[in-house]
Amino acid sequence: MLHLLKIDLKKLTSYRTFWVVCGLYFITLGFTTASGMEFLKWLANKSVEFGANININRIPLYHFPDIWQNVIFVSGFFKLILAFMVVISVTNEFTYRTIRQNIIDGMSRTEFLLSKMLTNVLLSLLSCAMLLIIILVTGFIYSPEIIWSDIFTDAGFMFAYFLEMFSFLSYTLMLGLLIQRSGLTIVVLCLSHMLEAIVKANIDDFAPGIIPFFPMESITNLVEMPFARYAFQEIQDYVSLTSVAIALGWLIIFNYISYLKLQKSDL
Amino acid sequence: MTTPVLTVKGLTKNFGKLCAVNQINLQVNQGEVFGMLGPNGSGKTTTLGMLMGVVNPSAGEFSWFGQQPNHHIRKKIGAVLEHPIFYPYLSGQKNLELNATIKQTDFNNIAKVLDIVELTARKNDAYKTYSLGMKQRLAIASALLNDPTVLILDEPTNGLDPMGIAEIRTIIKRIAADGKTIILASHLLDEVQKVCTHFAILRKGNLVHSGPVDDVGKGEEIVEVIAFHDDLPAHLNQFQGTKEIKKDGQFYLVKMNNGFHSAELNRFLFEKGIVVSHLATQKKSLEKQFLEILAENNTH
Repeated sequence: MLHLLKIDLKKLTSYRTFWVVCGLYFITLGFTTASGMEFLKWLANKSVEFGANININRIPLYHFPDIWQNVIFVSGFFKLILAFMVVISVTNEFTYRTIRQNIIDGMSRTEFLLSKMLTNVLLSLLSCAMLLIIILVTGFIYSPEIIWSDIFTDAGFMFAYFLEMFSFLSYTLMLGLLIQRSGLTIVVLCLSHMLEAIVKANIDDFAPGIIPFFPMESITNLVEMPFARYAFQEIQDYVSLTSVAIALGWLIIFNYISYLKLQKSDL
Repeated sequence: MTTPVLTVKGLTKNFGKLCAVNQINLQVNQGEVFGMLGPNGSGKTTTLGMLMGVVNPSAGEFSWFGQQPNHHIRKKIGAVLEHPIFYPYLSGQKNLELNATIKQTDFNNIAKVLDIVELTARKNDAYKTYSLGMKQRLAIASALLNDPTVLILDEPTNGLDPMGIAEIRTIIKRIAADGKTIILASHLLDEVQKVCTHFAILRKGNLVHSGPVDDVGKGEEIVEVIAFHDDLPAHLNQFQGTKEIKKDGQFYLVKMNNGFHSAELNRFLFEKGIVVSHLATQKKSLEKQFLEILAENNTH
C-alpha cells in the first residue's frame, strides 16, 4: 500500500503546479479560518451600527467547543481548491498518456486507482492536521477560560470533515477518470452544486424525502452551518449518523465507478 | 522443449464495427528477435497493447512464459509502445526512478541503463527538453531497467535521423546478443531484415505470414551475368539450370531452376570457354517478399 502512495507522490513532488496549488490551499485555509475575530473587528469598525449594537467579544466564535463546528464548516468551502489539484493530477495522466505507460510498466489498473485514492486520503488527512493545529491554537487564544472537558467535546466534527474531504476528492477523481480533460472536468466540478440545486428545486414539490440522499447535499450536510446559533436559532450542532451513512455510501459508489471505468477502458 | 516466451491464440480486438485485430495466432521462442511487419494501421500496436494489458481483447487469449497474463509478469517485460511516454516535467533520472518504483527494482540499475543509451550527461534535465532521439533512447533505457528477459519495441526508430537510426539499431543488436528475446514492430522492412531472426506480417488485422527471416532468400535464385561473348544468351539457355533469361541493361538476368546456384552456372560457362566479368546472385529482399505476400493477399 505504502509502495503505491510512494509512486503517486513521486509524480507530484517534483511538479511545481502541485506545490503552488497546495501552498495556496493551505495558506488561504489557514489565514481565513484563523482570522474570524479580525474579520468581526473590521466589520465593527466599518459599520458603526454593527459595532454599536454588538459586542463582538461576546460572540464565542473561537471558544471551545463551538470552534470545532465553526472552523470546520468554513473550511469546507476551500476543498474545491484541493480538488483542482486532484483534477490536474488525474487528467495529466491521460494528456501525457502516462497511465498507459504505468500499466505497461507493471502496475495493475486497480493499483493505479489505489495510488490515486491513497493520495486523496493523504490530502484529506493533511487538511485535518492543519485544522487541528488552527483550532487548538486559536481556541486557546480566544477562549476566555479553558475548561479541559470542553476542549475535545465536539472533536467528532473532525471525523465528519475527513469524510467530507475524502468523499469530495473521490467524486473529483471519478469525474477526472470519466472526463479525462482538465478544463471540462473543472467546469463540471464547479457546476456540480448548481446542477444538483436545479434538480433539487424541481423535485422538492413531489419527493422532498430523497433530497438528503443527493451526493453534494449529503457531503455538505455532514457539517451544517453553525452561525445561526448566534442569532438564537436552533441548529444541528452534531454530526448526524444518517448523513455519515449517506456520505459513506457515495464515497463507495464514486470509487467503485472509478474502478469499473478503469477496468473497462482501453488506455 | 522449453516453454515459449509468448503464445497467442485467436486474439481479436473490435473497435465498434472495425476489426482491428482478427484471430491472430503467434508463438515467440526464447532468444528470437521477432519482427512484426505491416503497413500503418495494420494492427501491430493494438496487438502489442493487448499483450501489455492496456487494451482489453474482444476474444482470444495469450500467455507469457506459459502463465496467465498479470501485472507481475509485465514487470519482467520491457516495453515501449508507439512513442516514448514520460512525465515531461520530471528529469530523465526521476522518470527512471519512478519506473523503478513501479517495477519494484533497485535504483542501482538506473546508472547502468543510462550508460547503455548514452544519456548519463543529460540525466538531470527535464524530459521535455530532450530531442526526439534522446526520448527514444530514454524509452529503451526504461525498458531495460528491470533487466527484462523480453523486450518489446514498437517503431523504435520512428522519426529519427539516419545517425539516430543506426544508434538504436546498434543498441538492439547488442541487447539481442545478450540472449534477450525481442519483439520489434516496424513498417521499415530493411530494419527488420537487418536485426530480426523471425518475422510475421499483419495486414488489416490479419496475420498473413509468419516464419524465419532466413527463409526469405530461399526459393529460385536470380543471377546477374556479364561476359564479353557474342553467343552468351544461347549458351545461357543451354545450361540445364536456366529457367529463363532476360536482358537488363548490361546484365543478363538468369532465373534459375530450384536447386541450382551461381557456382554451377559459372563452371558451365567456364567449361564452354566463356569467362565472365561479373557474376552475382541477387538477394531477394524482405521488401520484395513483403510486397509479394501483401499482393497475394490482396487478390483474396
